[in-house]
Amino acid sequence: MSAVRLIARDELRLMARNRVALIAFMLLILLTLVAVLSAWSHQQSIADLRARHQDAAQEAFDSQPDRHPHRVVHYGSFIYRPLGALAAFDPGVDAFTGNSMFLEGHRQNTANFGDVRQSSMLIRFGQLTPAFVLQVVAPLLLIFLGYGAIVRESERGTLRLLMLQGVTRRQVVLGKLAALGIVALLAGLPAMIGLLLIAGQPGAMLLPVLVIALGYAAYLFLWVVLVVLTSTLVRRSRDALLALVALWAVAIVLLPRLAPDVASSAVPLANRMQTDVAIARDLRRMGDSHNPDDPFFAAFKQQVLDRYGAEDVEDLPVNYKGLVAVEGERMTSELFDRYAAASYAAQARQNGIVAAIGVLSPAIALRDLSMAAAGTDFAGHRRFLEQAEDYRYDLVQRLNRLQATGVTYADDTAEDAGADERKRVGSTNWEEMPDFTYSAPSAATLARGALPGLLVVLAWLIVAIVLLARATTTLGERR
Amino acid sequence: MTLWLHELRLLLRARLNLLALVLLAGLSTAAVSLGMVEVARQRAAIAAIPELQTEDMAAVIGWAAETGDPGNAAYYSFHPTWDAPAPLAFAAMGMRDVAPFIMRVRALGLEAQIHDGDTFNPELALPGRFDFAFVLVFLAPLFVIASFHDLKSGEREAGRVRMLEALPGGNSRLWRRRGVLRFALLWLGLSTPFLCAALVQGVSPGAIVAVLLLAAAYLWFWIALAAIVGRLRWSSVTNAATLAAIWLVLVLIVPTLANVAINRAVPVNQGAEIALAQREMVNRAWDIPRETTMRRFYAGHPAYAASAPLPVAFHWKWYFAFHQVGDESVADEVAAYRTGLEQRDRAARLLGWVLPPVGMQMLLGQLAETDLAAQLAYQDRIRAFHGRLRRFYYDYLFSDRPFGEADYARAPRFGEDG
Repeated sequence: MSAVRLIARDELRLMARNRVALIAFMLLILLTLVAVLSAWSHQQSIADLRARHQDAAQEAFDSQPDRHPHRVVHYGSFIYRPLGALAAFDPGVDAFTGNSMFLEGHRQNTANFGDVRQSSMLIRFGQLTPAFVLQVVAPLLLIFLGYGAIVRESERGTLRLLMLQGVTRRQVVLGKLAALGIVALLAGLPAMIGLLLIAGQPGAMLLPVLVIALGYAAYLFLWVVLVVLTSTLVRRSRDALLALVALWAVAIVLLPRLAPDVASSAVPLANRMQTDVAIARDLRRMGDSHNPDDPFFAAFKQQVLDRYGAEDVEDLPVNYKGLVAVEGERMTSELFDRYAAASYAAQARQNGIVAAIGVLSPAIALRDLSMAAAGTDFAGHRRFLEQAEDYRYDLVQRLNRLQATGVTYADDTAEDAGADERKRVGSTNWEEMPDFTYSAPSAATLARGALPGLLVVLAWLIVAIVLLARATTTLGERR
Repeated sequence: MTLWLHELRLLLRARLNLLALVLLAGLSTAAVSLGMVEVARQRAAIAAIPELQTEDMAAVIGWAAETGDPGNAAYYSFHPTWDAPAPLAFAAMGMRDVAPFIMRVRALGLEAQIHDGDTFNPELALPGRFDFAFVLVFLAPLFVIASFHDLKSGEREAGRVRMLEALPGGNSRLWRRRGVLRFALLWLGLSTPFLCAALVQGVSPGAIVAVLLLAAAYLWFWIALAAIVGRLRWSSVTNAATLAAIWLVLVLIVPTLANVAINRAVPVNQGAEIALAQREMVNRAWDIPRETTMRRFYAGHPAYAASAPLPVAFHWKWYFAFHQVGDESVADEVAAYRTGLEQRDRAARLLGWVLPPVGMQMLLGQLAETDLAAQLAYQDRIRAFHGRLRRFYYDYLFSDRPFGEADYARAPRFGEDG
């Protein structure tokens, strides 16, 4: 096997002598380091900021004065989406989803104040993260360093010389693979060290980190194989370079942008106005709690009266208005959930189309894998939205029940000068309301989400290796 | 003239060149088509507003008109606003895919409403749109590199360069002719689909000419870079590699680095803080004497100061007054937030002067009215409209005039000045 090692060493020596290549390599390392540091500090500051805001919002909620519970339903609650530790490696859709949410009764708010609307348009060029460097920049470096690996030897006739000296085709290809593989390893190393540092933080989990490391290693090695394969197949080195740059541009720049357009034309999303009007329409059909003559709420009233054996709502042991609020919230929330589920399903279908196109572009598959393992993909965002909605519903219903039990019907309907004071409940109630705590997904959940992407990248790698093995057998023969 | 034709034939005989041209024209066609589809989708959504609005308002009028209470009308009526895409929007979607272009507002506090977003799939927005601006800014340079990197070195490597330069009319005229020809073909391949789409979309001739000239200038920038690299007399392959590396740095890396730097240099307070502060102010009103709120409101809006004193029971005019006071109390934060966004945008524009890819993106966004300035202008239109809504309802509320069924039709409409 020493022939392989000799060829690899020779190739590496040649790369080191090429000053442009060396500079490019150094730049990549530098870029990765800058990306790791900046992404890490950015994530750190976001996490601090959100934690601080979350505390302030919670504090403001808890320190409300005596209030009517329904006031607090509308005072609402601000919650912030916490970021997992791995978001420093791949922030995924975080800049696009908005990071704060206002929760109140009778409505489901969208998350708002995303970075994308607060940044200049430059963010649309891409964000400087370790993931970006490894996904986009590193393959190009491998292309520049390796496009000539084999075709150069056959162009100059040195391939024949090598073979005359008893070196097999397999050894030549393996040597070149080894040389470029070492470059890939070195190029990926800073990002991987960064990943390990991030993984060492509290809250980071080993399994997703391993999946990410495996995914990126397979991806970089895939490019190594593709570069050597192309270099084996073509007759001139300029063709190898052009073909590889074209492949890079299509797989990494073009397809990831093209796929979303295909997906969004195939699966349309309802906009907010359509959804809101449709929800209002459905609500009217179900019944209107504001309308005293509404048949649904008339039936509800009768049912409540029957349950308590009372003649009139004034005789109930609980505040009827609070019960109506509970029932109304249950109905609206059911509708919200139904419409939200439809929207999530449509978005999942869109993402499914993109993932299907990802079979053609390992870059899309790798991106999906990376975001999924970092918990920063759409599924991660949806996890937050669903937990937020559960929390909102629970909070609002607690407040509604507080209205039912803590405020009497007589006070609640009174309009005299002192009525406002009598409608209020004590401020200690607010502290007793639970705080929003985001329960992070388990390592297994994250890893499972990353599995399809990982499989695609690995399948690509296997196919490329098989193709290279085939091409090796005819290497150097004139076609 | 025959010389030009010969060169053209020579150029097109090379399969790679022909393929590149067809590919560029194809990409450009795909980009403008997708842009037109998206613009059509947005226009259709805007065109669907009146029907939805009529349905929604009919329901409100159905029960609220009987009460005659202007407070009910003001509280329950949502009024749509929209930001129709400019004719050129198909070419550069800018921020139109992440910022809402339809927004319903009501006469309550605006700061709790104006920052809302619309539904969009973040994973689809993440890579950025595939539009004409993308083809021009990102992809066209690669085609320039492909067809210019071996303009002279290719002939040198084929051993023809001395002979060519010795020919009568050879030397610089020859290279210029070949360069202009390649440029013209690339430019035509890129801009013919754009021109067709622009004519269909009814873009003004001035804007069309501006985009065509910008595209030409941008291509020339990359051709000039290729010429400079070509002067170093390296091999074709080294030229291509160097140019591709320059492309990577100018198009992807520097803008991405700049984004980090700008966001660091110009801190923008989280917009959520505004919403939080406004909420505190609005909800505090329930706990302080109602007269305090009214005094503060009347001080800012003396036109309504003659209104009857508040009754003992709840009155909508107090409710709307404290929402307005809530908005006014965060006016400074709102202004600071906006200034921060504008500063970031200005810094990026500044970068555009030295970095053509950024500059092109900015100029196209500006021409297509899809950039931050356009988003802020839409917000300004919403603010102005919201002001008219408030005045309209306040006139009823503060004079205790009943709000009948006919009055609903009198409410201001977005897009009609008055």
